[in-house]
Amino acid sequence: MTLDVKETDGAALVSLSGDVDLQTSPSVRQGLLDCLETNERVVVDMSGVSYIDSSGVASLVEAFQVSKKKGSIFVLANVSPAALRVFSLARLDKVFTIHESVEDAAAALG
Amino acid sequence: MTQSRSSAPPSEKIEQKFRSHLNLVAALTRDFAAATDYEDMAAAGLQQITNYVGAEASSLFLLDETGKELICVACYGPVNITGLRVPSDSGVVGRALQQRKGQMVRDVSLDADFGGAVDEKTGFKTKSILAAPLSIGDEYLGCIEIINKNTGDSLFHDSDLTLLETLSSAAALALHNLRLTQKVVQQERASREVELAAEIQRDLLPVQKGQEFPIHGINVPARSVSGDFYDILPLADGRIWFNIGDVSGKGMNAALLMAKTSSLFRCLAKSATDPGQLLHIINNELCETNSRGMFVTMVGGLLDPATGHVALSNAGHEPPLLLDSKSKKFTELPAEAPPLGITANIMGSEGFPTAEFDIRGGSLYIFTDGLTEARTFGGSMIGNEGARSLILEHQEEHAEMQLRNIAAAVRLPSKPLHDDLTLLIVQDFSSGFHKSRNTVAKNHMCQIEKILHLRLPARANRLKLIRAAVKEAAEYCSCDGDWTKDLTLAVDEASQNVIRHAYSSAEEPGDICIDFIKECDQMVVHIMDFADPVDPEKVRGRDLEDIRPGGLGVHLIKSVTDDARFVTPPTGVGNLFKLTKRL
Repeated sequence: MTLDVKETDGAALVSLSGDVDLQTSPSVRQGLLDCLETNERVVVDMSGVSYIDSSGVASLVEAFQVSKKKGSIFVLANVSPAALRVFSLARLDKVFTIHESVEDAAAALG
Repeated sequence: MTQSRSSAPPSEKIEQKFRSHLNLVAALTRDFAAATDYEDMAAAGLQQITNYVGAEASSLFLLDETGKELICVACYGPVNITGLRVPSDSGVVGRALQQRKGQMVRDVSLDADFGGAVDEKTGFKTKSILAAPLSIGDEYLGCIEIINKNTGDSLFHDSDLTLLETLSSAAALALHNLRLTQKVVQQERASREVELAAEIQRDLLPVQKGQEFPIHGINVPARSVSGDFYDILPLADGRIWFNIGDVSGKGMNAALLMAKTSSLFRCLAKSATDPGQLLHIINNELCETNSRGMFVTMVGGLLDPATGHVALSNAGHEPPLLLDSKSKKFTELPAEAPPLGITANIMGSEGFPTAEFDIRGGSLYIFTDGLTEARTFGGSMIGNEGARSLILEHQEEHAEMQLRNIAAAVRLPSKPLHDDLTLLIVQDFSSGFHKSRNTVAKNHMCQIEKILHLRLPARANRLKLIRAAVKEAAEYCSCDGDWTKDLTLAVDEASQNVIRHAYSSAEEPGDICIDFIKECDQMVVHIMDFADPVDPEKVRGRDLEDIRPGGLGVHLIKSVTDDARFVTPPTGVGNLFKLTKRL
């Protein structure tokens, strides 16, 4: 699993790739929470995520909840069908804001 | 000697008058008897009496439902007072009723009871009154009065009163008959409506399936309509929802609440994950609308016919009985939650508890108190013991026969059922217990093939390896990508539970064993650990309304497999979690 962050005036683009599982999700969680500390808008590019499990989903849910509390924006982009399947099984596909691509997300956020 | 009428001797005059009275009474009695409503009857009567007596006006008053007022339902004369209400305890009419005998007032100005209220309202001038009560036995229905005699000496005579009293008796009888007829008509209409409701209700019950189907039910209402219900709802994936319910109270109210509850079950079951969650939602829905203190006891369950596994939630209902196929012993499954419809969120956010168990070739009997409270010939209730012996007596028969025979056994001839009776039998055909020999033989021929065995330390950094193993095992069985991803998720989540929970208290985590077995047309994965036994009741899917992190794993596992549960490990040590997914 890798987690790359690019920050530009208050916005962070987090590129997540590899397997997000029980072993890697703690660092994903910490990475996302750190980004939300210093950024108003966080876009997670999930295009490289090959596998995500319940602990990975939980990290995203926690980040989403933190963003709600802070009034900042937390959106997902490029979610692979495999990850989308897990989201819909968990019935969280309607909870997250999901964009087709990073560009779409950027356009939507202005 | 010839005589004209006018000069007839007094005795003949009286006889003439008597005969003419009798003729009138006979004619009017005939008309009254043929009348089909009050207007007919009154129209036939009042005009003839008034003219015969030689008076100005007449009216028919009937007591209202409270008995406190008299209402004029018909009248004859210069003013129309139909609809006029007068107190039943005042005036000359009131006095006729109170004293229960005819009244003759030749001059109203000399009568203390005469109020003149009607005259004030109508401008009519009442001079004299003749009034007779209408009665059948002790029951007083109203009064007929005749006003202002204006022929002869303009004075009412005793013979007029006798005539009116005779006619009022005939009128009372006719009125009484009319009312009885109307009552019968109304009752017939109501009973037709109840019949229609009963028919609709019977249509709500599921159609019986063939002998091979694992769930059968029967409903015998104590009245036309029933407060009991049951339903059987097969899902596309092969699992079958079932329920049985009993609404507190009987009759139409109970039947309507029953229809509502069973509709909610049918509608919500399609998207529910487990019975406890379903009963929780139904309870909250029922509580949104007022049920006038009525409530519903219900058992809701989900059977997987492939495995004989049952998930069941009991909201205040009679404990279902699980009959063991070998020992013929019963296990009671008591209610762990109150009935539905009392208050919303009665079990807190946890919802109603779900019990999970295997029928193991036995039968599950679920029934309403119509069975246990059925009476013996001696008049005592058969109780739980009686119900058990009835079940044992018939358990060898096929389900539909059992239902018919048990219902017949508690139905005493000539005595109505004490309560609605509903009985449901859930059977397990998964291991061929109740099936024909052919099917059993086919099961024996089923191929079992061990594909892969893994034993490795239960650590998070081994999960990737485990996922790779799932992929290889699936590939070996020629499974497609989506199928493989789903099984990978399930095995990963189950392994995570071992890593996170089973060995959570141990300093050094133990091993995890994973076996992939191909059984006929399904993949079975055993995930075993060597930790202290876990309580399967505590391993529950989370409530999806609540999106807090964690607790999601069990839900994901159940969503992507056909069956997932703890089974007894062969060595008796540790925990064995078994996943089954159709190929």
